Amino acid sequence: MPEATTGNGSAASKYTVLVADDNEVAQRLCKRVLEKAGYGVLIAGDGLQAVDIALRERPAMILMDVAMPGIDGLEAMKRIKAEVPAMPIVIASAHSMASDRERFLAAGADSVLSKPFRLADLVAMVQTLAGPK
Amino acid sequence: MPMSWTRILVRRATPYAALASILAVQALARTDAVVAFPLYLAVVLVVSLQQDRAEAFAVAALAAVAVVIPPLATSRGTAEVASAILLAAVLLAVALAVGELMRHARASTIAAQRQADEMLAVDRRLHALLESAQVGLGLADLEGRLTMINDRLAAILSRGREELLGTTVAGLTAEGDRPGVEEGLGLIRSGDIGKWEAMVELVPADGKRVPVGLFLSRIPSTVTGEPAIVVQLTDMTQRRRADSIVECLSTVRQVLVNSATVDIALPPILAALCSRLGWSAAQLWMPDADRSAMRVRTAWNASGPLLDGFLHACRGAAPRKGEALAGRVWKTGAVSAEEDVQGAAHHQLRAAARMAGLQSALAFPIVSAGEVIGVVELLSDSHRTVDDDEVSMLADAGLEIGQFIRRSETASALRRSEADHRAIFERSPIGIARIGGDGELLEANSALLHILEQDEETMRMSGWPDLLRAYDQAAGRQHRAPFLGAIGEASTLQVRAATGAGNWLWLQLTATSIPDATGAPEHILVMVEDVTAVRETSDRLNEALDAQRQANIDLAKLDRTKSEFLSIVSHEFRTALTGIQGFSELIRDGGLEGDEVKAYGGYIFNDAHRVNRLITDMLDLDRMESGRMSMRSGDVDINDVLMEAISRAAPSATSVEFKSDLDPRLPIVVGDRDRLIQVVSNIVNNAVKYSPDGGTVTISSRVEGRFALISVTDTGLGIPPDEIGHVFERFRRVRSGAAQSIPGTGLGLTIVKQIVEMHGGKIWVESAVGHGSSFHFTIPLAPESANALQLRHA
Repeated sequence: MPEATTGNGSAASKYTVLVADDNEVAQRLCKRVLEKAGYGVLIAGDGLQAVDIALRERPAMILMDVAMPGIDGLEAMKRIKAEVPAMPIVIASAHSMASDRERFLAAGADSVLSKPFRLADLVAMVQTLAGPK
Repeated sequence: MPMSWTRILVRRATPYAALASILAVQALARTDAVVAFPLYLAVVLVVSLQQDRAEAFAVAALAAVAVVIPPLATSRGTAEVASAILLAAVLLAVALAVGELMRHARASTIAAQRQADEMLAVDRRLHALLESAQVGLGLADLEGRLTMINDRLAAILSRGREELLGTTVAGLTAEGDRPGVEEGLGLIRSGDIGKWEAMVELVPADGKRVPVGLFLSRIPSTVTGEPAIVVQLTDMTQRRRADSIVECLSTVRQVLVNSATVDIALPPILAALCSRLGWSAAQLWMPDADRSAMRVRTAWNASGPLLDGFLHACRGAAPRKGEALAGRVWKTGAVSAEEDVQGAAHHQLRAAARMAGLQSALAFPIVSAGEVIGVVELLSDSHRTVDDDEVSMLADAGLEIGQFIRRSETASALRRSEADHRAIFERSPIGIARIGGDGELLEANSALLHILEQDEETMRMSGWPDLLRAYDQAAGRQHRAPFLGAIGEASTLQVRAATGAGNWLWLQLTATSIPDATGAPEHILVMVEDVTAVRETSDRLNEALDAQRQANIDLAKLDRTKSEFLSIVSHEFRTALTGIQGFSELIRDGGLEGDEVKAYGGYIFNDAHRVNRLITDMLDLDRMESGRMSMRSGDVDINDVLMEAISRAAPSATSVEFKSDLDPRLPIVVGDRDRLIQVVSNIVNNAVKYSPDGGTVTISSRVEGRFALISVTDTGLGIPPDEIGHVFERFRRVRSGAAQSIPGTGLGLTIVKQIVEMHGGKIWVESAVGHGSSFHFTIPLAPESANALQLRHA
């Protein structure tokens, strides 16, 4: 099971996914599913943490919740994209109305994953953006 | 005496011829002058007696010459000549003497003749005077027997002179006056008085009575006769008539002065015209409303039933202008008499006129403002002459009646107008007050007293001044002039006022200034309407409109809140479902360790529970807000409730310290224990949730008046000022800063507030960011508890 590494860690981060979510249940679910699929999983509990980890660890992609304490997912995404424009970011939100989806894509999300999601959809999306493991 | 010239010539020539003849005969006979002398004397005497003096002298001179000439011619002796001259002188003296005598005789004859002529003239003048006198004059002996009368006297008595001579004055007098006259005669006869006069009635031949002024005066006896009595009669018929006419007009005036309306005045006026002027009947014609014809307005019958028929027929007649006597007078506006009444009567009336035996008719116009407004027709069943006095009096009466009708119509119009206004004032459903210049109540109608539920006296003393004050206050609020200041312009204002029975009304006051004749305000009319119903309806309408407007705003807000709510709720649901769905998918797919399955089952259960709570909260709130939630009320010990809530919260809130400051003497309240626990738990949970870094949660209870006051104070994040006002609203959650991640349905405090208010309490919050929040709420004490408490405190 790959571990999240520090430093430039490009190799280590190639199959690493950052999960940014304030809900512990969601964190555990994503971690369990993605690790099972062979990816390394980094966890951030709020927006600022997500920015911090993303810029430091340069994960292959980020699974970003929106409603988080501190700065929300969209603000975090904006800051990360400002530094690393190519960083794939999937907004995974329980705000799942059609208008929300448009809003997230317009804010710069590479893809949108509505909660609740099928586990296979999560894996497929990660494989698409982070490369199949 | 007129005499032909030939006779004058013969007469004057004759003496000369006689003289010549005597001379010739003397000469032929050669007689002496003495012989011829008597002949000459005779001629001279005759001439002197018959002719005037000059003639007599001429003849005498010629005779003297004739006496002298023969002696001279025959040259007789001187003696003879002398005697001849003597004789001639005698002739001349005779002629002179006789001429003188004749002159005297003639002069006295002329004087006597003149005297006789003068006496005759005086007699004639006296006679003429007697006859021309408008009074009846006569001479009677002392017994009163008429010995001489003039024509006038005969005319007054309608008898011939001869018939009257010898009749006594007393015998001509009407029976009633006879004793008086006889007494008068007696007094004069005895010489006690010289003159006597009286108004008496005589009875002429035709049987009618003639009013006369009788004047008797005694003429003393003369050489030629006995003392006599001069009888003087003045016919008073005309004067009586003139008096009647004057009296008639004065009666008409008197009636007019004392009558209110034409219908009251006319019957006595018609009666007076009949009685004073001697008419049989009278009737008033007045034009129809459309002035096309005249109709009888009122009639008076002073005579028998025969005229009743004619008057009745007149009631059915309608002569047009110019038709019949009434119509003619209507047209001409002049008094007019009808000579041939039966022939000229209106064709509808001719038969009735004949049957009634109408003979005379006279009609005069009633004139008002130059217009004929009626015609009075006077009717008589005997022939009757009409004099100028009567005509002019009737014309005057017509004018005065016309003026009266005009006045009385004006007066009755005024009376009607006054009555109308009085009726409006009295019967109006609108309250009306008459107000004096100083605002004092002069008069109030019954509607006003009814509206204000007051009697007039109370109204005057207090009700009206109160109303004026209310008016002035209302006017002040609307920046309008006070009541008395607004006089002169019609002003309307609605005021709130209490009635005598204490009911509050909305009254609409409309004030109108009524000017006097000079235009200065004399009094004020105030109309008072009870507009309470209108006003309340409009107030309710405005309230409803306001409510509707607010509801629309609320609805719009609700719409936004609802979208927000849906967004929040769906987010919460989906967040919970993410775990439920994901972990149940993992379990379903199998290949898990036993521990894993157990842990995932726990996640699923927690999230499912969370979803359930959300649903419960929403349904609770919906029930409370729609009033469908029932409370199970019972005696509740608040301190027990607080301890229960702490014991429930404490196990999952390890980071905070709970403190309690409970009043042990806090009385019980009546309420729903479970709901009260829900309230306290919710507030306590919030206190814990919003104290992420730990701290103290202090719960206290105490009595505050008739309420139990419960406070939950934390040392947590606090509520920003811009959000503190909204914490009890649905779906409002403090999500700024550190509070953002704190989960919640956003319905908790809304539900809390609802429950508190359902118990009759209040809830409020004090907070300072960084220092924590204090939630306070009150629950009313049970009534007996409150009383007991008061007793205890007393």
